[in-house]
Amino acid sequence: MFITFALITLLGALGMLLQKNVVVAGLCMVAAFFGVAGLFVLLANPVAAALQIIVYTGAIMVLVLFVIMMLNSHEEEKAQVSHPVQRWLSVTLIAALAFGAVKLVLGSKGLTALAVTGAEMPQAMTLQKIGTTLFADHLLGFEVAGLVLLAAMIGAVALTKRNL
Amino acid sequence: MDKLASLLHTTPAIAWMVAKLVIVFGGVFSLAALWTWVERRGSAMIQDRIGPNRAALFGKIKIIGLAQPLADGIKFFFKEDLVPHDANKALFWLAPFLALVPALMGFAVIPFGRSFMSGGQEYHMALLDPGNGMGLLYPLAIGGMAVYGVLVAAWSSNNKWSILGGMRASAAMVSYEIGMSLAVVTIFMTAGGYDPSEVINAQGHLPWAWNVVRQPLGFIVFFTCMFAETNRLPFDFAEGESEIVAGFNTEYGSMKFSLLALAEYCHLMTASALMATLYFGGWQVPFVQNPAVMLSVLSFLVKMLFFAWVFVWIRWTLPRFRYDQLMHLGWKVMLPLSMANLVFHAWRMSQGH
Repeated sequence: MFITFALITLLGALGMLLQKNVVVAGLCMVAAFFGVAGLFVLLANPVAAALQIIVYTGAIMVLVLFVIMMLNSHEEEKAQVSHPVQRWLSVTLIAALAFGAVKLVLGSKGLTALAVTGAEMPQAMTLQKIGTTLFADHLLGFEVAGLVLLAAMIGAVALTKRNL
Repeated sequence: MDKLASLLHTTPAIAWMVAKLVIVFGGVFSLAALWTWVERRGSAMIQDRIGPNRAALFGKIKIIGLAQPLADGIKFFFKEDLVPHDANKALFWLAPFLALVPALMGFAVIPFGRSFMSGGQEYHMALLDPGNGMGLLYPLAIGGMAVYGVLVAAWSSNNKWSILGGMRASAAMVSYEIGMSLAVVTIFMTAGGYDPSEVINAQGHLPWAWNVVRQPLGFIVFFTCMFAETNRLPFDFAEGESEIVAGFNTEYGSMKFSLLALAEYCHLMTASALMATLYFGGWQVPFVQNPAVMLSVLSFLVKMLFFAWVFVWIRWTLPRFRYDQLMHLGWKVMLPLSMANLVFHAWRMSQGH
């Protein structure tokens, strides 16, 4: 099961990068999101999987595809001048980020928790648990995120509708 | 169940799973096919016509035209399968499946009857057993995927009318999803759980304790949003025949068109089942404390088919909205109503404790 979902995720991501057609690339990204949702289910977190599908594939990717179709740019734009420096810079940056991420994951407590089997296995995540975690342990972060999103929303409306 | 399983050399759990798969997918699919006929007969009834009553099995057995969906299916199979010259071929083929698969998957979590015990084992009448952790988030998530069928069909056809229809439909579906979700969240809150079985048990067997009486505002919002989500007539902007030919399925013919049409009816069935589960007590039989299993299935079917009929009824009663009216209704009426419903019930719950 893990291999299947991991393959779906990776192939979706690769397809998105290599595909010339913007809409097909978007659909590949949807497939990648689906793979990630499957991985969440395998990690005993079905709520995160459902939210992943609702938020990312159900809302964000639909809007992205919507905008692509509205602007109707089917062809990829050619870069005017190629800068090899940019390419090397981005490769090193990504390599550094990937190295850091792998190191963080390998050093985290979650990895040892994966080896636990039997009765000590953590229970599957439920919506109730997420609610209590958000509103009891991470209240400040939650409120700040809500405020930032509200500001972004008002900003977007103000930018597009200048003469309300 | 035990005997049947031993006959087939499997465990009862696997036999029941297979049986459930056949019941749910076969049932929803054949009901969707049947509903194409109900739609045509219903429209005929409302418009004082007769409707399709001629199709007969083997040219002899004429049961008020009930063989019509069968005849339509055979006809669609033998029609020429055209792909437009400038269409994106791969996506054009993929779109009907992208439309149909989420439509069929949505039903999986809905309990269509009471759980029963047999041979010391409990059998649940839903494909995903209660306590799967997804609960009613699952139909919301899968319902959100329905947009892709329309969007991909529209874009891959490479046709102005198709793209107009697809964009209008996707914008409407995304807009109405918010109001719908807030109405469902209110139910999660009052039921104290988000598993469909918890929601049904919280409603009980007395009709005045069902959510439709407790949260009438939420029901109105959810009901309206379901029409937008399924692209049914007062809001069918995916295919406004009088405006944009046939919208997203203009270029589709033969079996591919049939799959797109069936997907719409499967969505209709899932939407009706959701309404019955969330607001009308699911499989609960009015005034019967612990109904027999078959009675509970019957009760659920009656509720579901009633709402499926309401979809047909409204389609042939109300005229189509204008697009700006739809957006106005979605954002300026349904969303505030849904919010008010949520805040009111939150306030009531805080007063109760």
